[in-house]
Amino acid sequence: MNALTASAAIATGRVQLANVRQGALVTARMRALWVMVLFIFATLTACVRIGQLGLFEQTPERTSLAEALLPSRGEITDRNGLALARAFASYSLWFNPKALGTSGAPLVKTPEEVARALVGIFPDADYADLVARLKSGKPSYLRRRVLPEDANKVFALGEPALEFPREEQRFYPQGSLAAHVLGYVDEAGKGHVGMEQVLENRLLDPAWRGTPTALSLDARAQGALEDELGRGMMETNAKGAAGVILDADSGEVIALASLPSFNPNRSDLAYNDLVFNRVSNQVYELGSTFKPITIASAIDAGVVTDLAVRYPSVPFKMGSFTIHDSHDFGTSLNVPEALIHSSNVVLAHVADNLGAPALKHTMEALGMNERPTIELPARGFPLWPRGGGEGGKGDWARLTTMTVSYGHGIAVTPLHLASAYAALVNGGIWRPATLYKVDPAHLAPGRRVFQASTSARLRQLLRMIVVDGTGRKADAPGFRVGGKTGSAEKPGTGGYRKTSLIATFAAAFPMDKPRYVVIVMLDEPQATTATSGQRTAAWNAAPIVGRLVPRIGPMLGVVPDAHHDVDISDLSPLVGSGEGE
Amino acid sequence: MMVSANRFRSIGWIALLLVCGALVMVLAFRVNALRSQVHRTELQIVSLRKEKLYLETEVETRANQQQLKLWNDVEFGYVAPSAGQYLSNERQLAAFAKPDGPDSPAPIRVASADDAVAAEAAFPSVIAGLAGEPDISAPAAASDDDAKPAAKPADAAERATATANLGARLAMVTPLGKAGADKPGKSKDGKSKDGKSKDGKIKDGKIKAEKSKDGTDKLGLAKSAKTAKDDAAKPGKGAKLAASKAGSSAAKVAPGKTAPGKTAPGKTAKPAKPATKGGKSAP
Repeated sequence: MNALTASAAIATGRVQLANVRQGALVTARMRALWVMVLFIFATLTACVRIGQLGLFEQTPERTSLAEALLPSRGEITDRNGLALARAFASYSLWFNPKALGTSGAPLVKTPEEVARALVGIFPDADYADLVARLKSGKPSYLRRRVLPEDANKVFALGEPALEFPREEQRFYPQGSLAAHVLGYVDEAGKGHVGMEQVLENRLLDPAWRGTPTALSLDARAQGALEDELGRGMMETNAKGAAGVILDADSGEVIALASLPSFNPNRSDLAYNDLVFNRVSNQVYELGSTFKPITIASAIDAGVVTDLAVRYPSVPFKMGSFTIHDSHDFGTSLNVPEALIHSSNVVLAHVADNLGAPALKHTMEALGMNERPTIELPARGFPLWPRGGGEGGKGDWARLTTMTVSYGHGIAVTPLHLASAYAALVNGGIWRPATLYKVDPAHLAPGRRVFQASTSARLRQLLRMIVVDGTGRKADAPGFRVGGKTGSAEKPGTGGYRKTSLIATFAAAFPMDKPRYVVIVMLDEPQATTATSGQRTAAWNAAPIVGRLVPRIGPMLGVVPDAHHDVDISDLSPLVGSGEGE
Repeated sequence: MMVSANRFRSIGWIALLLVCGALVMVLAFRVNALRSQVHRTELQIVSLRKEKLYLETEVETRANQQQLKLWNDVEFGYVAPSAGQYLSNERQLAAFAKPDGPDSPAPIRVASADDAVAAEAAFPSVIAGLAGEPDISAPAAASDDDAKPAAKPADAAERATATANLGARLAMVTPLGKAGADKPGKSKDGKSKDGKSKDGKIKDGKIKAEKSKDGTDKLGLAKSAKTAKDDAAKPGKGAKLAASKAGSSAAKVAPGKTAPGKTAPGKTAKPAKPATKGGKSAP
């Protein structure tokens, strides 16, 4: 019993021991297995990762070369491919108060010292504003656009809080050149004023923005125009100036300037009165520059057939109103003389013979009763004289017809006048003005306003005005300039103001085959020594054209030739001599 | 033994498979390495192009119209060329002629044999550029091109016609040193034809304008005009006169001596260049 008990006890102990051993073994094997699984898993993971890295590394979000080079906003160039506006990563000046850590002053020097140094680098900066920003302790832009050399100077101040992030912004390498045509882009990236606004969708469209958009402008001619207009404006202390150069055949705007101008690179300052475009948005009574249009209309209608016919030039009474000339030109003048001396009275007589319907029809055909046709968003509506009948749509009164004949009682933009002069000299076809570069084979459809013979006659007459008449100062040797002066008094309270003039010169060259129309206008020029004490267009606007044409002619493919001119020999004998407006 | 052979074979297959797998892997890795290298290069190209645009913009900004005007007002004082500085035909050029020496006899001028060339020279298309189609794009296109093809007529006849035009003829440039060594016959070969000089001055207008400024390079112009004449195998004596004349009057005639609008359109792409130069002279 005892032995049995003992043996049973031993047996039980052995079994238990065996069980324990078994259990320990299983545990050890399990652990080894786990370790192995871990190792295998790690190896597999490493292999998979190696394979993944080796085989499929940068397939996700691989950008193509073209995409990487695509600008954020398309480039605008002139007709020769010179960049006028481009997306450009330029430096800006950013104040980061946390650059030196959150505790302590953000700047090494005092804000006043830093602001003073910054004003030394950027003379147009506002000292008080800079001090306020630097003291506020808030991160902000101190300046949106900084030149690299200025950035270096700021860096030399040794202020870690002044940073220069490079950001893609709109940049105009030519500065204020053609600012009114281009417009500007605000800080939110939206285009304003000019073609930036018009072309907004195209410039932002990924399909298009890679290719630059060519405008019809020629930057060289634009520069010359702005330059000469600015000089004319300075010499005459004028309030403003406007000018446009138009391709007489295609209607392309080669240059368009409105002074004073603005700098589109400073979009923060750009939105002010200066963005107002005098060429396409402001309407003026352009005065005597309308006379050739009236004469063309009369020749076209067969009212003026013989240019030798003389008309009375003594003051012309119409009811309570008297039409008179600036000077006394004797008792009678023929049409060439009337244009050369700029006689209102003779034009009134011609218009009276022509009649209101014909003159009105011509003006309408020249687009004088609607906004100018151009892509710019700001286009002024002309002051179109009211006619009789219902809604003022009937024929003009007799007096209205007469005043319109010499450019009063009707106010249009200088661009209207440019398009009209293009039609006047190019053989009689009116074409809408455009700012896009036009393929000569695909001109915009025009409409015939004058017969070709009328246009040829007008070319002679316009040339005569420059050779013998009021436009003599515009006669650039060899360029066969033709044109007409216009000096219109500005309307004020209680009638026209004698000393506030709009002086215009409307020209085309070369007159034997007109290629370009040039309109130059000065707003309220003063009588100065530079203009021999005169304030009329013959003394201030005409000389601008005389200086401008030799500069732009050769660039635009017009070669001066002193031995070549439009033949005016059949008209020369009809002209006496005298002075006009 | 059989079993071991089978086993050996399967081990061999597996080994082969592994080797192939390893090779594929290596190839794939190489391809991928190359691909990322291309990618890096692309990135480099992008950054370089951006840098180029940046520099280009900086140059354009520094040389913008207003800046050029300022420099011109203060430093250079260039003005637009006047009508008298343009020549429309050879007669005008020949009118500047001086006798070769004191008491030298008047040069004998012979009539030209080729009617077409003579007619064109006598009645140059004065306003060809103006009277024709309003071909305003031509000058722009020309300024972009090298303008070399236009100066490389295929054969002598074509060349004669091309050089009948004064502007084109003056445009032919032979390098100074070469011009002295050139025999008239030698100049007929293709080498000097294209007017390409050793120093790479291909654009005629530019060269002329440069010459005009100091007037020191007159000889080159005279020579080139002469060579061009010889090539054209045309008027002989008169050509020499005109050529020597060109030298004496070079300073007066240029810049912008070639009358851009007067060259017949399509004949040469060059007219744009002098015009551009004129532009620079009056920014």
